[in-house]
Amino acid sequence: MTNPVQMIADAERKIVTFSLGGQLFGIDMTGLIEIREWEEPTPLPSVPQFIKGVTNLRGTVVPVIGLAERLGWPPSELHARSCILVVGIGGKQAGFLVDQVADIIPINNSDIQPAPSVEIEEPGVIVGLVRVSGRNRRAGDVDESGPMVLLLDLEALHVHRPLDLAA
Amino acid sequence: MNPDLDEIQAIFFEECAEGLAAAEQGLSAMAAGDVSANTIAGVFRAVHSIKGGSGAFGHAALLAFSHRFENVLDEVRAGAIAPTPEVTRTMLAAFDVLADHVAAAQGHSATPDDAKASSELQLILDGKGTAPAVPADDVPAAPAAPAADEMGFVPIPAVIDDLDPFGFEPVAIELEDLDPAAGWTIRFRPSRAAMANGAEPFLVIRELEELGATVEAVDYDALPGLRDLDPEEAYFEYRLAAPGTVEESTIVECFDFVAPDSVIEIARVIDEVAPVAIEELPSAVVPGAPEPILAAVPAKAKADTPEVRGEAPAQTIRVDLTKLDLLLNLVGELVIRGSILADRLSPADQERVELPELSRLTRDVQDTVMSLRAQPIRQAFSRVPRMLRDLAAETHKQVTLVTVGEHTEVDKGVIEKIGDPLTHMIRNAVDHGIESPAERVAAGKAAEGTIRLSAEQEGARIFVRVSDDGRGIDRERVYAKAVEKNIIAPDALLTDEEIDQLICAPGFSTAETVSNISGRGVGMDVVRSNVEALGGRIEISSVPGQGTSFTMALPLTLAILDGMILRCAGQRFVLPLANVVEAVRPDPGQVKPMSPTTEVIEIRGAYLPVRRLSDLFGLAANDRRSPEESLVIIVDSEAGNVGLMVDTIEDRREVVVKSLDENFRPIRGLGGATVLGDGSIALILDVDALLATSHHSFTAKGVAA
Repeated sequence: MTNPVQMIADAERKIVTFSLGGQLFGIDMTGLIEIREWEEPTPLPSVPQFIKGVTNLRGTVVPVIGLAERLGWPPSELHARSCILVVGIGGKQAGFLVDQVADIIPINNSDIQPAPSVEIEEPGVIVGLVRVSGRNRRAGDVDESGPMVLLLDLEALHVHRPLDLAA
Repeated sequence: MNPDLDEIQAIFFEECAEGLAAAEQGLSAMAAGDVSANTIAGVFRAVHSIKGGSGAFGHAALLAFSHRFENVLDEVRAGAIAPTPEVTRTMLAAFDVLADHVAAAQGHSATPDDAKASSELQLILDGKGTAPAVPADDVPAAPAAPAADEMGFVPIPAVIDDLDPFGFEPVAIELEDLDPAAGWTIRFRPSRAAMANGAEPFLVIRELEELGATVEAVDYDALPGLRDLDPEEAYFEYRLAAPGTVEESTIVECFDFVAPDSVIEIARVIDEVAPVAIEELPSAVVPGAPEPILAAVPAKAKADTPEVRGEAPAQTIRVDLTKLDLLLNLVGELVIRGSILADRLSPADQERVELPELSRLTRDVQDTVMSLRAQPIRQAFSRVPRMLRDLAAETHKQVTLVTVGEHTEVDKGVIEKIGDPLTHMIRNAVDHGIESPAERVAAGKAAEGTIRLSAEQEGARIFVRVSDDGRGIDRERVYAKAVEKNIIAPDALLTDEEIDQLICAPGFSTAETVSNISGRGVGMDVVRSNVEALGGRIEISSVPGQGTSFTMALPLTLAILDGMILRCAGQRFVLPLANVVEAVRPDPGQVKPMSPTTEVIEIRGAYLPVRRLSDLFGLAANDRRSPEESLVIIVDSEAGNVGLMVDTIEDRREVVVKSLDENFRPIRGLGGATVLGDGSIALILDVDALLATSHHSFTAKGVAA
């Protein structure tokens, strides 16, 4: 399997980092539409637990996904800094609940290490690991989880795919 | 590659598609016995314009074939070849080849083999000399008359003698298919005593002008000399032209208070474009065509053309659909903003800022934009005849198609999405429904099967029905197959209706061999999910030996819904008003448990099942209200009348439907979502799907394996 992240060897790009269950994750800036405050979405029936519901994004109905649960972590606990990352995926939009947005960091593609092939349920979701150097971090941002960022490919989560194929 | 040329060529192909549709419609009408000059001319025009464009873009094969086809049509049009059933059949076959040619020119398929169709057309052309001349009673109208008709003119005698300075006379003619977009001409001669009676004619004329009418001419012939003039009498006769979009009744209303002895004439302008007629004349000059007709027509055309031109026939422009959708979205936003304002302002403030007026305007804009998207369902039906001919040939069955209600207007989004379901339904009808001619005869039926395709509007729904007069659903076989495929348990007890519904179960197919028509076991399953995704449902009814009918009940529009805002377990929902029968606040004891999980409500002596919305959606299981604290809304669903128990009703309003599909995926039981006045989202209930599946729980089941 080719890693799309490594296709362009040394181009610099920006990632948004956020914390989730004590871990630091990152997604590519390009897909990000906006970051909004957490607001209780309208719950939907007959959807998996990790789909929190739908919310109104400037007149568009957008699903909100509990990213922690989707990745198999315990659900995020809501607090004042909980927020929703609204991301465009393949022409559709989705919001992802994260614990806290940390930073926007420029990285080089060459800094990304491919994810080691440990046994994970869904290959492709974690596209790589990147070590964030200290100078990129904000001064007051104390961080216990270490400087390693897990880069996610949100498209690989297939949040828009219908689930009733086997129904 | 020249992008400009590509663009023009794209327009040409669009026109081809329209031309093919028109030609097919005409040919089908001819096959059904309508051989009027108008119909034939319509087909001719369509093929002629395809030929013209194909030459310009260098599609040689298409040009050659359409040219030959056109020649035959021209002879038919001129009356040199009688439009016998045989000729029509050949032309229908030629039409199919023509459609293939167009597809090939677009690069969608290989160039078709047109040798057979081509030689058949040639045979008709060659045979025309020996073909019996058209007997006069075969074509009811004299040759000159149809030709004139085809140009869209009605001969008007003595136009020049008319005193009207514009040489124009409204003619009341009965044409069967008057284009509703054609303009109106209104002749209005107020009674002499109009002003004495307080019926000032100018008030009427101003009212008409507000409708968009313009005064074309004033006939002041009746005006006496100054000496005899009585300033209080009305002498003038007015001629007005009004746009065709105005309803006749609206025009008539303007004259409500006019004295009864006034002369009022309202007539449609004949909507045929004169320039087209003129363009076509040279091409009509073919050997064998009777000269006198051609000589007669231009004379009339010249006499009438200026008037017809002056009446501005309905004009159309092509608009990119995405722009229309954008407009619709913006209007939807406007509606939502309007309701936010209404929510925030007190009634007095609403009046002060003229909010009611603004809301009315907004609704008008919305209605107009919606009507822009409405298209006759004919567009979806148009590909059926061809498909049916191919299917009939493939299966060696004889099938005739009857279409009803093809003018029913539906939202374009609906039309686009019913194409596939319709295809599957027609295929099923031919493959599984209609028997072979031998079987039919043995069963005492006509050898030729009939498939009826109909569309009708009923309230906010449109019903599209495909029915056949075939063998009906073989319920025993369906049952056995369902057991074999593990769709149902071997000992399941099912009603006839439930067995019929099995046809729509995923993975079900009774065809013994997988044919390329149907029988891959995806057909009806796909039909059902497509239709449900549109917020519709499928009904099946079948009588063994007499036929099967599939009905798609579809929403008329996908964008606006008249709904009731409900509250249940702290969440708001929209219930389509079309489903609501009545709302009841139960008295103590009126709702009775039947079993630990089911309840019934007694309404005027009858018992109806009651479903709690909170249970259906798995909401607030630990906070069960007593029935007396709730409302039971009796809804009309596929499953009959059912009481839906909710906490309360908040409001009744029109909501803009936002599909869940746009950013997510459709959810069974929900027709979409809407944004309410306060910016929050309410889910729209799909009552049929909700109650049809209510024996299964709707709560989250996790990712299906």
